[in-house]
Amino acid sequence: MLQYVLRRLAYSVIVLFVASFLVFTFVAKTGDPLAALRLNPRISEQSVENIKERKHLDDSVFVRYGYWVNDAFTNGFGTTVLGDRPILPDLWRVMKHTLQLVIIAELLAILIAVGIGVYSALRQYSVFDYTATTFSFMGLALPVFWFALMLQVGVVYLKDWTGYNIFPIASLSSVDPGTGIHFWIDRAHHLVLPVIVLMIASIATYSRFMRASMLEVVNSDYVRTARAKGLTEKRVTMKHAFRNALIPLVTLVAINFGALLGGAIATEFVFSLDGMGLYYISALNQNDPYPVMAWLMVTATLIILFNLIADIAYGYLDPRVRYD
Amino acid sequence: MRKRSLLLLAGAAAIVASLVVGPAATAGPDRVSAGTVVFIHDQEPPNLRPNWVDNSLYATALVDNSIFLGGQIRDNNANWVTRLFTGPPKLLKKSPQTVQFTFSPKANWSDGTPVTCADWRATWQIWINPANNPASRTGYEDIKSVTCKGKTGVIVFKKVYAAWDALVNSGVWPAKYTAGKDANKLWEDSIPVSSGPWKFQSWQKGTQITVVKNPKYTIAPMKLDRVVFRYIADTNARFQAMKAGEGQAMEPQAQLQIADFQKDKNFVVKAVAGYSYEHVDIQFGPKGAAPLKAPYVRQALITGINRPQIASALYQTIAPGLPTLQSNIFKSFEKGYVKHYARYPFNQTKVISILKGKGCTGGPDKPSAGNDKIFSCPGVGKLSFRFSTTAGNQLRALTFEVIQRQLKSVGIELVPRFQPAGLLFGTTLPSSDWDLIMFTWVEDPTSKITSRDKLGCGGDINYGNYCNKKASALLDKTAQELDDATRTKLLNQSEAMMAKDIPSIPMFVRPVFTIAAKKLKGLTTPTTLEGDFWNVNTWSVS
Repeated sequence: MLQYVLRRLAYSVIVLFVASFLVFTFVAKTGDPLAALRLNPRISEQSVENIKERKHLDDSVFVRYGYWVNDAFTNGFGTTVLGDRPILPDLWRVMKHTLQLVIIAELLAILIAVGIGVYSALRQYSVFDYTATTFSFMGLALPVFWFALMLQVGVVYLKDWTGYNIFPIASLSSVDPGTGIHFWIDRAHHLVLPVIVLMIASIATYSRFMRASMLEVVNSDYVRTARAKGLTEKRVTMKHAFRNALIPLVTLVAINFGALLGGAIATEFVFSLDGMGLYYISALNQNDPYPVMAWLMVTATLIILFNLIADIAYGYLDPRVRYD
Repeated sequence: MRKRSLLLLAGAAAIVASLVVGPAATAGPDRVSAGTVVFIHDQEPPNLRPNWVDNSLYATALVDNSIFLGGQIRDNNANWVTRLFTGPPKLLKKSPQTVQFTFSPKANWSDGTPVTCADWRATWQIWINPANNPASRTGYEDIKSVTCKGKTGVIVFKKVYAAWDALVNSGVWPAKYTAGKDANKLWEDSIPVSSGPWKFQSWQKGTQITVVKNPKYTIAPMKLDRVVFRYIADTNARFQAMKAGEGQAMEPQAQLQIADFQKDKNFVVKAVAGYSYEHVDIQFGPKGAAPLKAPYVRQALITGINRPQIASALYQTIAPGLPTLQSNIFKSFEKGYVKHYARYPFNQTKVISILKGKGCTGGPDKPSAGNDKIFSCPGVGKLSFRFSTTAGNQLRALTFEVIQRQLKSVGIELVPRFQPAGLLFGTTLPSSDWDLIMFTWVEDPTSKITSRDKLGCGGDINYGNYCNKKASALLDKTAQELDDATRTKLLNQSEAMMAKDIPSIPMFVRPVFTIAAKKLKGLTTPTTLEGDFWNVNTWSVS
């Protein structure tokens, strides 16, 4: 097991290294962080030169990559090209916000999806099953940005109708969020719409997985045996079928969670949530390779980590899996 | 099992509580204090260091202009309004150019110390220090000396600097707080003092900046308790947040959503022509298409584009009556504006006759929407041009489609080269490897003084490589001319010559919009980058 984990981590380092170099090259070659300055006829050439020199912008991409690697390990990913702003504190801040959003959305999605999936499997081809299937496909097909916008429009209509703004449209907190419990209530209130948006696709995916997995298990020999032994239906379902049906879902959730920590880009952008996704988009718009690289490294590491966790969890839950 | 049920119940209760209590705890605009205005903006400043090379953003100016207040500021019509000075600065001598200014006895920093000439001199020294990175040293680097006597200062220039009034009127930084500090690191996350109507209070990164009334500012104090700048990146979300009452004012880009607000009785929408203008530059250099060097081809191009129709098609709904711009130097609302390019009215039949008259062949005999024949002209070849502009901008895409269709119907082909802004402005534009390029010049009332940079031979931003030596010599003179009337005359003489060459096709001045909740009084739409808050002293919310 330990050998397997170490081997996977060693591969991951190589993957991260190659990915970082490729992305750095693409970002550095396709955009110029000083582009906006060139449109200003009065911009001080000396100031631009100072930045170029400080950030080694005239050096080859290999040299710049070398500086970046050094910064990444010794200086918390360094600073932005424009603004000379330390990257790590900003990244840490947005990551915490994304974590809040993703954890709430994923927990709720799992709870709801598992319920829907299990009930659909146990009542296969019932009205509930068909309804759940229809809504799942709708959930999978809904473009996130469109759905988010529709929710915002809906809230505005509701406000016009009732005079009451039930959910905030944008941002993570109010103008005066307060402190302590008031702050967290305000935060939860602001996360309602984004969580709904993020949950929909997850519920659709997880519930289909759960249904399929549950159907496979309830029709298997050992469940029939359990019933034949005279166990109650509740015990058969919960102890024997449900636990085993959860195994594929655990891996899926782990992988999805890792990917979402990189930022639910569309959701965060539409709701202007100060998270990883919005941070990434802003950095790309500014053609600044350094925050883009920092984002990439954190995201890639998390994805690799959660993939590894998924594999380990799978082996732990299903004793048939061996790490040879 | 009971424990699990209790946990589930508690979770559900927490969610319900957040929905019920949340709205009450939310400081929406209806619940915040009556003296608060929430201003919705798209871009959050990277720091609070204004006019620095890494931060010459309008978003920063909006916050900082009322903290580092100028001696005089621009009103919504670009006229000077006295603030920290006792009156307009005086031009004492033309040679060497010598200027005098005096800060008002009422001009104080929020910590109680007076704003003096020493602050002006310290700001000048910061700007000319080669280790510092201000966005522009223009003007400051032309100053020979600043002599201070309390609140009065005398500036002597090394050489004539025509835009001296804008320079002298600029906001100053507090000498007390900048002495001995690395200016490249100043005002990173906060500003400790203010000379203007508000002072910095807090910055919730990624969400909002809050400024509050500065009680030590008595020249034109604001009635409001505070202004909160809320940053919402997504265009639609900004409009929806405004509609939902999460903000009282915004200054949106030209978007069709503005039309919704025009119909809504809860909002006031205003639009004025600004100093930024849309244009199509023509490449005269070796990397440009050969036909563009022929004057008759450039004449055919401008005559084949229905510029009034384009401005109308783009802005009819949200800014009706937007005029076609007929100058590359003056804006249509400015004193001295002459319609130099009005000599090229839209006339498709004339385009064909111009081209045929010069021996071009292969094109249509008469304008036709379905035409696919392209002219080829003697010695220069086919009239097919690369048309570069920014990707992802709907209004530009529409403008291109209209221009492409109009020119195609007279036998001129445009091939789109849409690129992300970073690539277009960072690589393509300065490389001069394009035929036609459409973008916006963001200008201000003093930009015309430095028109030589844009249109003069070898000008710093003359990426089209256009050169008319006589016109260029006149532009050089304007940069040294201190008299407004003479300068206007010189600029118009120069542009009259250039209009015959058509170095660039002016399209229209971009409108500036403001949307305000009806209960907010006092907001005007700014023509210049001084921004909406020049008269924040008159703002109030009912």
